[in-house]
Amino acid sequence: MPPVITLNAVDYLIIGAYISVMILVGFSLKKYMKTGEDFFLSGRSLPGWITGLAFLSANLGALEVIGMVANSAKYGIATVHFYWVGAIPAMVFLGVFMMPFYYGSRVRTVPEYLKLRYNEATRGLNAISFAIMTVLMSGISLYAMALLLKLMLGWSLTGSILFAAVVVLLYVFWGGLSSSIYNEVIQFFLIWLGLLPIVFLGLKEVGGFQGLMAKLQEPLLHSIKYLGTSNNPLGVDWFGVVMGLGFVLSFGYWTTDFLVVQRALASKNLNSARMTPIIASFPKMLVPIIVVIPGLVALLVLPEFGQAALPTADYNSALILLMKHYLPNGLLGLAITALLASFMSGMAGNVTAFNCIWTYDIYGTYIKKGRSDAHYLKVGKYTTVIGIAISVGTAYIVQSFPNLMDYMQLIFSFFNAPLFATFLLGMFWKGATAWGGFWGLLVGIATAAGHYILYRAGILTYHSDMAANFYQAIWAWSADFVVTIAVSLFTVKRDPKELAGLVFGLTAKPKAEARWYARPAVWGTLAIIVAVILNVIFW
Amino acid sequence: MNDKIETGEQKTGMSQGHVLDLKLPIGWLLSAYGALLTVYGLTTKKEMYAISLGINLNLIWGVLMLAIGGGFLLAAFLKRNKKAG
Repeated sequence: MPPVITLNAVDYLIIGAYISVMILVGFSLKKYMKTGEDFFLSGRSLPGWITGLAFLSANLGALEVIGMVANSAKYGIATVHFYWVGAIPAMVFLGVFMMPFYYGSRVRTVPEYLKLRYNEATRGLNAISFAIMTVLMSGISLYAMALLLKLMLGWSLTGSILFAAVVVLLYVFWGGLSSSIYNEVIQFFLIWLGLLPIVFLGLKEVGGFQGLMAKLQEPLLHSIKYLGTSNNPLGVDWFGVVMGLGFVLSFGYWTTDFLVVQRALASKNLNSARMTPIIASFPKMLVPIIVVIPGLVALLVLPEFGQAALPTADYNSALILLMKHYLPNGLLGLAITALLASFMSGMAGNVTAFNCIWTYDIYGTYIKKGRSDAHYLKVGKYTTVIGIAISVGTAYIVQSFPNLMDYMQLIFSFFNAPLFATFLLGMFWKGATAWGGFWGLLVGIATAAGHYILYRAGILTYHSDMAANFYQAIWAWSADFVVTIAVSLFTVKRDPKELAGLVFGLTAKPKAEARWYARPAVWGTLAIIVAVILNVIFW
Repeated sequence: MNDKIETGEQKTGMSQGHVLDLKLPIGWLLSAYGALLTVYGLTTKKEMYAISLGINLNLIWGVLMLAIGGGFLLAAFLKRNKKAG
């Protein structure tokens, strides 16, 4: 099959300039990497706007963008739920209520918090599952990137995999988390500048937003109106959307996934750390502009997805086909650079998170305890090499067994869903005991797996796979919540003195609050209000 | 690169912040892209823009990116001057 898109010298120049800047930024950060905290947490020195944009970009990977454009072509405006319901409340909650315990307790990782609040076993369960999950995900996205570049541009699979691996290796090895974060901020600007031309041209062709609304079928045009039953394009009812997506999955991801939380921990002070997710929430609300509009435009202008579309139409190719449809060389190079940037920074994000968890929570806890900081810094740097090597290996394994990708994502979903219950009880109920936390988490994971087996066996039925996924999360979360409380009632309580700084009510309020206009609570409230207004407008 | 030491009131323990002034690389990259797209837009024929609905979007976007990139560079320059002065 010939490649979909042909690039010329100008396009390659644009791609090359980006790669050079990335490597230069990594190189110029090299001199700062003197301690473990420099490498793993940027020396806790970055301002809020940088960590905020990085917080958003860490999640705005290329697969996410391509997938959300595909979702918009399939489900219409309801895709905004992944943003306005499924992200904003959790981001604000993290900043306003949870960050004081993460940043205030000076933990370096999310599992380390679990160790302080619960016990070693709970930390181990979380650290090991997260480390394996992150490094494999990095391999999966590496493979997905190489496959896309092969289909789109005709680049060789091995060439793309090795090239991306070497670039990411260079800049993470030199600059650690700072490199990752700075490149994520650059990516943030590139993704907007690269994709907005498609939005403009698309809207122009279909006659503006009004034209878009007039030409599409009614159920595709509302976010909430048809959620009363699961008889809507998503196949999920309002309870599934609000509880499953908006509460369990969203809070589980945004508040406990170290990949994003690590960015906030790199902030220079508590107020910046709390502002990080809140600053990120504002551009997050606008992301539907660059994913939902192209998805809807694709339905109208691309014959592949028109009225006569085959049921097998591959919506994942919508964004690429739109690029081909609208962008002349030059802008095409910019759009491809934006995708490449989000692929690479996604991989770098996974690798830096893996590094940190491996070095502090696994190597420094179970393998070589109590060594010098310089020793761990060195281990962290070389873990970068090993982490990337494992990613490359995974990419090749996935290439031979494409089904593995689905299985891995499935297993990861078992681990993620219940975690938020463990954190919620840990941070806000001082009665949760060490073994309560551990057994709650374990039973939650088992519940997710059990639910999946029953669904596959046909014992449980839902309107769509998405509904099954949302309800699985709800069950897993509830099981974790109930079991943690039940076990806590029968096991030994922790001494409240040990929990100071870790639990609400046992932690001193931050003394010097920022001025009112710099306060997380003020901006968080504003973010929620704007999100509610957006939901009402697109009802 | 413009390295500076952050003197925030709650600086904690670290000798030095990792403050590479990020406005500079962003500014340079976007300005370079802007200049390249502008020149390319000026030197390419109209036929090439049939797919972009007849609009020479390379030129328009190039000028826009030059303005954004220039804005970042200007902000970095003003900040540096303020510190020096």
